[in-house]
Amino acid sequence: MRRRTFLGTVGSGSALGLAGCLTRDGEGDENGGNGGDGGSEGDGTLTVVTYESMIDTEDSAGPWLKEAFEDEFDAELEWEQLPDGGINHYIQRADRDAGIDADVYLGLNVDDLVRVDDQLEDGALFRELDRDRLERADRVRDEFALGDPHGRTLTYDMGYISLVYDENEVAEPASLEDLTEPEYENTLLAQNAQKADSGQAFLLWTIDAFGEDGYLDYWQRLEDNGVRVLDGWTESYSGAYMEGERPMVVSYSTDQVYTNRFDYDFSRHQVAFPNEQGYANPEGMAIFEDAGDVDLAYDFFDFVLSSEAQAEIATRNVQFPAVADEHVDLDEEFDEYAHRPSEMVSFDYDGLRGNLDGWVEDWAREFAGQ
Amino acid sequence: MSLADRPVVDRLSAGVVSAWLERHVLSLAAFGTAAVLVVMLYLPVGLVFVEALLEDGSPTLGHFVEVLTDPFYFGVLADVFADPLAIGDHLGALAGWLGGISIAVTLASPVPGLDLPVPWLAVELPPVQKGLFGFTAYQAALSTVASVALGLPAAYILANYEFYGRRTLRSLTILPFVLPGIMVAVGFYAMFGRTGTLNTLLGAVGLGPFAFIETSPLAIVILAHAFYNAPLVARLTVAAWESVDARTVETARSLGASPRRAFRDVVAPQLVPAVLTGALLTFIFTFMTFPIVLALGGLQLATVEVWIYDRVQRLAYGEAASLAILETILSLGLTYAYLRYESAQTGFSQAPSPPPKEALFPDARTALSPRRLAVLGYGCVALVLFVGPLASLVVGSVTDGSGFTLRNYAFLVERQLEGASFQTRPFPAIRNSLLFGLATLAVAVPMGVVISVLTVRAGRSGRLVDTLAMLPLAVSGIVFGIGLLQGLVFGIPLPGGWRFQVTGTVAIVAAHAVAAYPFVTRNVSPLLATLDPAMVESARALGASRTRALLDVELPLVANGIVAGAAFAFAISIGEFSSTVILASGSEHYTMPVAVERYLGRRSGPAIAMGTLLLLVTAASFVVVDRVGGRYEL
Repeated sequence: MRRRTFLGTVGSGSALGLAGCLTRDGEGDENGGNGGDGGSEGDGTLTVVTYESMIDTEDSAGPWLKEAFEDEFDAELEWEQLPDGGINHYIQRADRDAGIDADVYLGLNVDDLVRVDDQLEDGALFRELDRDRLERADRVRDEFALGDPHGRTLTYDMGYISLVYDENEVAEPASLEDLTEPEYENTLLAQNAQKADSGQAFLLWTIDAFGEDGYLDYWQRLEDNGVRVLDGWTESYSGAYMEGERPMVVSYSTDQVYTNRFDYDFSRHQVAFPNEQGYANPEGMAIFEDAGDVDLAYDFFDFVLSSEAQAEIATRNVQFPAVADEHVDLDEEFDEYAHRPSEMVSFDYDGLRGNLDGWVEDWAREFAGQ
Repeated sequence: MSLADRPVVDRLSAGVVSAWLERHVLSLAAFGTAAVLVVMLYLPVGLVFVEALLEDGSPTLGHFVEVLTDPFYFGVLADVFADPLAIGDHLGALAGWLGGISIAVTLASPVPGLDLPVPWLAVELPPVQKGLFGFTAYQAALSTVASVALGLPAAYILANYEFYGRRTLRSLTILPFVLPGIMVAVGFYAMFGRTGTLNTLLGAVGLGPFAFIETSPLAIVILAHAFYNAPLVARLTVAAWESVDARTVETARSLGASPRRAFRDVVAPQLVPAVLTGALLTFIFTFMTFPIVLALGGLQLATVEVWIYDRVQRLAYGEAASLAILETILSLGLTYAYLRYESAQTGFSQAPSPPPKEALFPDARTALSPRRLAVLGYGCVALVLFVGPLASLVVGSVTDGSGFTLRNYAFLVERQLEGASFQTRPFPAIRNSLLFGLATLAVAVPMGVVISVLTVRAGRSGRLVDTLAMLPLAVSGIVFGIGLLQGLVFGIPLPGGWRFQVTGTVAIVAAHAVAAYPFVTRNVSPLLATLDPAMVESARALGASRTRALLDVELPLVANGIVAGAAFAFAISIGEFSSTVILASGSEHYTMPVAVERYLGRRSGPAIAMGTLLLLVTAASFVVVDRVGGRYEL
């Protein structure tokens, strides 16, 4: 194309491009070019939003769930990738009446619920669940509930934060206190609690152990002992830990499942539970207030809690099932390599409400700011 | 700006419309540029910035005051901002600090890992609380020095020597620029980690292992910044060096100047603007650095951008916007200062005839000369710093816990063939990246050129517009992303139930173009400014329209700059992540960097394989872009 003709077309082209962007409310107001309706008419399509690794990594659970659910219910399940802002994206959408076309959110954490209620209003964004409409809701272990006073969520799987260490370099730390000893100088990799779930979980674990008034002092001692707080889990684990930078990292207690799957060296992937504990991070699912096909969403919840689906989610998503042992049959690999702590530590909804942001902020200011 | 056009005497009557178009093409292009900027930049950014000035809907300066007087953000300056009139107290504090400086001669071991005592002059400065802004500026300044120091030798070699593969190497200098932050971090750990490539090599000759990253996180972060930005400095400088008129050097030499003198008085002044542009861009980029500091250094090295991200996450827009505005003011202030300097460098018309290139190693004797040895030494540094992380990444994509494996690429192939519609497939990512890149070129190059043409001779107001034209680089990427989300993706409600929304391909290309055009402007403006106005005037006197004069006289003379700017624009588009991921969320418009991010699971293998693919595709396109662009270089 000749530059000259081209220059002339730029102006008119951009005007045309913008002209097509006026929409009437209610006519597919999402993700331009996505083809419009997101199943909000109760037309047998369920749109489920979830985080990337649930649908987009090697052996994700998503494709299996979609196929099995569609076979069983003669309905369509559409996965939607959780936008970059996570729960904030939906808080802002609700705040600005921009419309939400997903029906179900799969992968809620307790702090997400706290943020929803802080920003919008108590009990906002998701429907209160009618447990009578769910056949299998009682299978979920009571201690795995997120503790939402508005009953919006159901837990579908569970992860524990623990330490992963290299037994050739360090001995297993028996307690959190041990990590401040000279023996563990410059050995620990943690993550930024402002950004990473695992980092925030580890911080909350220390708050549980040392109290609101003692945790900053503990972190001061950790800092004096050379802890490194990196950005996210990937940077600290796939980057620093896997390249032998340090012999200990805050990670998940299912680490050895991957060690076995990908032929890593087990001596470099030992799981430690300081104080015999692990921080519990239950993941929940909830139905958006404006969901189209609510019946189908309830069917989906029951399906996710079925024995087969729980086993598949555990194996593929490498998290523990949410249901009691008698309702799920796990394969040997998982049983052998996924470790549970003797005692789980966690803050529920009430423990975090009104505290979380302040705790994280005080902690982050201790570290940053020269 | 009115362009008083004289009617063109068109004897061949080539159509009234085309004559009209030719006369008004500049105005039309300016209008188009303004439209894109208003919708894609000023609107989204303005939406967020306004939050800084509002508290529950009423105007306030409270957010600014809070930030400015918080020692966490501004260290010792916070006291000054809190009580600017207590000059006596501030001077007293300064005197106290000066009194605390002590100088002593000690023995130190400056080389890590070597017990070699060296007499060392220890200057003890009492600690100063820098605050978040202070530290951010400090690391940006160090990163800028490192990037210029590592970029200039590369520019010197590429501009003055001829060797096999020079042009390809020149094309490849763009690679660090397009690599997603997470890949840079993984590449650096793979290269400099305790069990990384470098330690493996050193171990082979009986040295080490050295804990490079552990010893000084700050140094590694600065090196990572140099990895990103030294190529930028090098590319800008090479473009300027190759625009030098060799005849001016010959004239100086024939008048008796030594080679060194000729370089100092004739060549250097023509390079300084390019080097300073590179330094300025590097400073702005590293001031806004985000993932790299925390991925390699740790939270102790947090920058302002880290806090903006956190405030946005916690939906505290007032504080986030205040921080972002302060960042922007600082960046634009620096830009304005630089542009004042640049416009003072009036040149004279020049027809570039690049200096002849010497063979790098013509014979064995020359190969041992000090200058050639220095080139070799720099080559080794470049191998370790630039090639090392990239090569380690490529190696990492074909190794696994148990050694060589093609598993990661098998994953990509399998995903391409069998991936479900909701999954990210490699081929569409590659296709989208290339299409968006080309479309960005088509929009950003005219935008950048138009802004250059309109500002270059407009004096003081032109400088102001030119400074504002740098806004895309000076705005926090996080804030820009949030603005795009709230303004364009969610849409702006209009009366009657309508919504104004901009999403999809148009939005992504426009966002890329907005991020890319400043590079075109910064490459073209300095060259355009040095042209002799008399040339355009003679063309106009002979009856050419302003547009005709621009296309036939000016642009060919600054083709070098346009090509260099276009290359950057393409690279910016390929590497852009933060606004793409927002505008492409949930749809099929994902690009290569977005795919890399989505493949990151509990194992980084597939993502690294995708990152390697990104490198290969970028390398191939740049060899092509530079070859095609090279035809236009005079």
